[in-house]
Amino acid sequence: MAISLAVLDDRVSCADEGLLDIVFQCMLDGCCDVACKVCRYDMEPVEIMRQLRFRLIDQGCFPFQDIPLIDNLRKEDNMMMARKSDRANWAEGLEVIDLTQGKADIAFHVGCRYSFDEELWRVPRAVVTLLKKAGFSVGIMGRDENCCGGRLYDMGYRGEFLKYAENNNDAWKTAGVQAVLTGCSDCYHAFKRLYPEEINFKLPVYHITELFDRLLQEGKITFSKSLPLKVTYHDPCHLGRRGEPYVPWHGQQKKIRGQILVYEPRKPRYNGAQGVYAPPRNIIQRIPGVQLVEMERSREYAWCCGAGAGVRERYPEFSSWTAGERIEEAVATGAEVLVSACPHCERNFMDALAQRNEKIKVYDIIDLIAEAL
Amino acid sequence: MALSREVYQALEDIVGTENITEEPATLYSYAYQWMAELVSDVSGGSKFFDRPEAVLVPGSAEEVQAIVKLCNRYKLKFHVYSTGWGPWAAPPSAGQILLDLRRMNRIVEIDEDNMFAVVEPYVVAAQLQAEVMKRGLNVHISGAGAGTSVLANACCFQGGGPDCIYFASPQDSILSIEWVMPTGECLRTGSLGAGLGWFCAEGPGPSTQGIIRGALGGSGGWGVVTKIAIRLVHWPGPPTMKIEGTVPAYRTPLPEDLFRAEFPAFPNWQAFADAIYKLYDAEIGYIAHRQFVMWGDELQAAFLNIVTDPSKQLCDIPELLAMPEIQKLTEEMRRCFQLILAGMTPRDLAYQKNVLDCILKETGGWNIAFVNEPAVQQYVLLFLIRLCFKSLNFTATGSFIDTYNSVASPDIWASGEIEAGKALLKKYAGRIADAGDQAMGPISGQGGGGVTGWEDFVFYDPFDPDSVKAAIEVSDEGDRLKAQKGRPPGGMLLGLARNTHADETARAAKLARAPEYRWQRRLRELFDPNGVGSGNYFWGTEPKGEEA
Repeated sequence: MAISLAVLDDRVSCADEGLLDIVFQCMLDGCCDVACKVCRYDMEPVEIMRQLRFRLIDQGCFPFQDIPLIDNLRKEDNMMMARKSDRANWAEGLEVIDLTQGKADIAFHVGCRYSFDEELWRVPRAVVTLLKKAGFSVGIMGRDENCCGGRLYDMGYRGEFLKYAENNNDAWKTAGVQAVLTGCSDCYHAFKRLYPEEINFKLPVYHITELFDRLLQEGKITFSKSLPLKVTYHDPCHLGRRGEPYVPWHGQQKKIRGQILVYEPRKPRYNGAQGVYAPPRNIIQRIPGVQLVEMERSREYAWCCGAGAGVRERYPEFSSWTAGERIEEAVATGAEVLVSACPHCERNFMDALAQRNEKIKVYDIIDLIAEAL
Repeated sequence: MALSREVYQALEDIVGTENITEEPATLYSYAYQWMAELVSDVSGGSKFFDRPEAVLVPGSAEEVQAIVKLCNRYKLKFHVYSTGWGPWAAPPSAGQILLDLRRMNRIVEIDEDNMFAVVEPYVVAAQLQAEVMKRGLNVHISGAGAGTSVLANACCFQGGGPDCIYFASPQDSILSIEWVMPTGECLRTGSLGAGLGWFCAEGPGPSTQGIIRGALGGSGGWGVVTKIAIRLVHWPGPPTMKIEGTVPAYRTPLPEDLFRAEFPAFPNWQAFADAIYKLYDAEIGYIAHRQFVMWGDELQAAFLNIVTDPSKQLCDIPELLAMPEIQKLTEEMRRCFQLILAGMTPRDLAYQKNVLDCILKETGGWNIAFVNEPAVQQYVLLFLIRLCFKSLNFTATGSFIDTYNSVASPDIWASGEIEAGKALLKKYAGRIADAGDQAMGPISGQGGGGVTGWEDFVFYDPFDPDSVKAAIEVSDEGDRLKAQKGRPPGGMLLGLARNTHADETARAAKLARAPEYRWQRRLRELFDPNGVGSGNYFWGTEPKGEEA
């Protein structure tokens, strides 16, 4: 915030390399936002950082690492430096409805990371298989799926984000789907929070943990196998504290009692309280034999995996260090498995683990579900 | 005035490339400090003070020594910073380097048997408290909150808080000290100076307690204290405080047979003062503070309802104030304070509760029933034991200062000074928040009792020029009123912070305490012959006119 004010006052130049490193090393994980809002009702630290990034990008000030990433994105519509034509390779042999040709109730948006990270393909494949077994009408956009734009937005590329948001919305409208489902926390945050805020987006959005939690509660699926595992759950930032649904607000600031600043009507308060915390924990705790142990920092105070807002791409060393901190915290619980519900977190943890001598394994929550059914 | 390349290189050689910067964005983040807009003669009315020329992040006392010696060689001023809170955290003038001690964040030792901990400057109270609670011990937390430096609160600036009645004031809790003096020499005081460990402040080695600390501390301009031993007290609670509740209404469920939060309330200020004396005499209480009146006696009941209910916001204030139960609670709370009783055994707590009941009976007081609601009870326990919600001071308007505060024996509560403070705030109500009596302060500022007091909070909007102007005016008027009574200026000392000797307020305040300032300057000349310590807003300037 101090730096934003210094930029607004023209004390610091947007071209200042030190400024760029400070601004773009932030993972926009929202932890400071939650901490500030424990006591404050009028501060939006995440919003300030986002606006600062928009300003810098608008002025052509960005880290050099962005150049190949954005170039590829503009050509191939993904954040993974991969070819668009390979986007549906993960689904080979699955017999899933292609929404560009067929109809389904639910669009399963796989996202860039699951689509192109071969080591994680098992997760979206399992989701499709499980949902089909549960009788859901689910389809994918296949090769025509686009990036959600959420990470771009956090990186400061609002214009690019808007393009993808409109494209995705149009595609789903054309396909006639009733809801959007995703297993990626970045995509979830984009659809749940950013799309309704930035474009005219109305579709219901679910994370796979919300859907499977509901199926378990309704008895539509049940776990039949026992998994004797001690696990700890990592809250992805964009599913947890930043995964709160958007609530429209049109109002104004005013002062009461002389100088006390209030909002009229009541302004929605995004302080991390309404994130998706319970569904993944409910799922884990229903699996016979699994013991869930919490890390020191969990739910709205969870430590970031280090991959957020382009930091993995822009500052890989810092990103890896951040993941390592979280792994140490997970190891300290005595858990054998670090479970998460976001491919970006899982990839960052897996890469950081490869550089360490730790036995803890990284699972997607879908891995647990698939094994226990 | 950028540093010469020769000096920068010499500093970089000490701390390494990674731990020094002169990037403007980083430098300005240190120049941005709370209340800058009030200290307009220094900040020019902006949100920024002068930025440091470079920021260094030393990792050890040895590196600090080397930096300070280099500053002496080049006659370069340095300012020291740990967790930072207020105008004194920024360098008071241009041309200085800033030492940020955040890498020195180690708990060096916890001596359970002798009940002390040795810490570096960036160990924050929450961090130390969490560790010592595992060992059945607890540590004083400054009124500034759990996120602030234990060492800085003890040695460098004020540091009192709600728990002093049991924990003692921070200056009374310091044992041995490792001090890099303004010359760069390292002095180890108390028992440490004689090579006997950290357990004693006053000997057999040298004692410099009063010089290092005094009433206020050096505010970053008096060498660098690199380690201290701090006294610990008993903690009868669990090894970790379990936190429950939905953000922001966190709470802690502590054993009910060992802990109890009470709001003793009184029919008049004389009864309030009498009860404090009786509390001292009876030697009960773990924490005692007039805390929630920081929101104003007219608003504290409404605010308590808001912060303990995640669904509520500040826009609910008018509706809450219209509710009969809130109106009743508001009236009940006008002359109350918050008291945490902690029993070392259930029998001990029962005894303390009985004693409190007797005190209330003798003074005509009562316990406010609102605090019996479990969510409120557990919120108050967490608030006062951990002091983790202290930024609520900023909630109403975004910033605050204090004015017309008092430090005295308990009689002060019945002397009419509360009403005088309230009348002062009422005069400016509208331009500052209209909240009523905002006299927040400790029931005892020292262990076992003896001295009490308060700060009259002033909530102002730091982005509203007229509100800022009103905050300056009310602060000055408060200091003027106090100077007329021969009392020192307000706790945050803004009159002095603005450092305008031409200003009637600051001059009167300094003249009222002239011998103290004179002695401070003499000591400074002795300990800092090259004048490289940054000085601070309160005593760092050269005396002028009558004052000299």
